[in-house]
Parts: sequence; C-alpha cells; structure tokens
Amino acid sequence: MQTPNFKGTKLFDRLGWAKENLEPYQSDYRVVYEDSIDECAKILVPDPNWMACALQGGILPPVWVYHELAKDEAQPDFKKHTRGYLLHETQPVEDMTEEEAIEYLIMKDIPQSVWQTWDEGNRPKMVICNKEQLPQTRTWRNAWRISDELAA
Amino acid sequence: MAGKIIADTLESGIGADIATNYVVFGSAKSWVNFNGSGTVATRETFNASSITDLGTGNYQVNFGNALLNVNYSANVTGAYTDSGLTSCSSTNTCRSHTTTSMRATSAGTSNSGVDMIRMCVLIHGELA
Repeated sequence: MQTPNFKGTKLFDRLGWAKENLEPYQSDYRVVYEDSIDECAKILVPDPNWMACALQGGILPPVWVYHELAKDEAQPDFKKHTRGYLLHETQPVEDMTEEEAIEYLIMKDIPQSVWQTWDEGNRPKMVICNKEQLPQTRTWRNAWRISDELAA
Repeated sequence: MAGKIIADTLESGIGADIATNYVVFGSAKSWVNFNGSGTVATRETFNASSITDLGTGNYQVNFGNALLNVNYSANVTGAYTDSGLTSCSSTNTCRSHTTTSMRATSAGTSNSGVDMIRMCVLIHGELA
C-alpha cells in the first residue's frame, strides 16, 4: 500500500492512518541494556504498529526530532514543548529495513548514555538479540544481567 | 490527506449534543495492552513505539507522538490471570513521567513487584 502524501499532517493522524491500514509487524528482535549498576538488565520490546510504520516509510519523523525535544525537556525551566511542530512538519523518514528500525528505536527509546558508549566499558552495556535468546521464565528476573562472555 | 470538518458541536440522531472539545481533549492519546509476564509482548496499542521491561512488575511505555508536558494523566490496570477472578488483588501505579515515556509498576498485596499477564496503560493529556 502506498503511503499518502502526509505533508502538513500531524504525526498523531499519521499514526492513526497506519493503525487503520497497516498490518502490525511483530519483530523478534529485542534490545537488552543496562543503564545503572544498581538495576537489572532492561529489555526493549518494539511495538508492532510502530514497526509497521517504520517498514512502510513516510510516517515517522527523523530520530533527531526526538533528541531535540529531549534537549528542550532537559532544561530546568521546561514547562511544555514549544517545538512540537518538529514532529509534524519535518519530512518523514523513508522506509527502513527491520534492522534499521531497531537502530532507530535504540536511539529514540534507550538513554543516550547507553547507546553512545555501549561498547566502551569492560563489557557491553547493550545487546541486540533474538527474543528466543532471552530466559523464557521470569524467575530471578530482577537478577538478570548482560553476560560477561559478550565482552570477548 | 483530503477531508476536514470544522465544527464546535457534534449532535447524535436523538438530539444529544457534545462540544468537539470534549472529543479533542477527552480522547486517549496513547493506550497499550500487553502481556507483562514471560517475554513481554504487546497485544494491542496505539501511539506507542516500544515497551521496556524494567524488571519484575516494572515496565515503561514509550510514546510515538510526545505529550505536550509531563502533566498528563495515566491510568494503569493489571490482572494476574486471564480469568479476571484474581485481578483485583493488586495495585498498579504510574510514575516517572516524561513527555515521551511513562513507567508503570504493578505490585501484589505485599507491595512487592508482581508481573501481570494483562497490563493496560491509558494516557490522557495534550499532545506536543
């Protein structure tokens, strides 16, 4: 299905079109990361509707838009977004492969402190894996950490 | 996209009317229904980009379209089982709002984290 010309269409409306017209895509990729030594490993699960948007193209804004909004929100005097137009008026990104979509999602939904330096420590802070590689039961869920063996 | 209706009021066939502001400001801006046990998996969602499994009974919903500010309202509910018979013996809370994500926790009667088979998050507020 061809993506309509969404020039001037708000992101929320574009997501609404996608919800109505695109088949959700369930990715088997998961992203495991650690952003605190006091907390267990966290697992990012891509949303199937969002994945469908990413694979379709012409719907989602570039990821830098979210980084700009995050910068605004980090200001001590932040009250509300005044540059929300970036979400709506910036040219949407073209269609992505599944792997490109996961990389976009990492940069959007995982703290920058993790993905910018994911492999600079003694062991990786982030791993992209298949969901089948995760423990299937949640016993000891709060004790899960990224394996040291991945440092090799 | 073609088509635009500008109206201040909607009226039903039986004469009941409602201001369109109720629809614009009252509609949910994001909602998620997911399985919070096993390997976390979404069932149905709107305006979510991902869910992060933060640990036992601890989840984060990430939004596609950011909210205008952090003063939006979140409603979180959960059920231990699909039967629903034991679904009320838990508490669900929301915390750590940002405009692009929200953390939701679920706990049992002992107040320790518990994974929910059916976890639902509903967001009302203004969009960026």
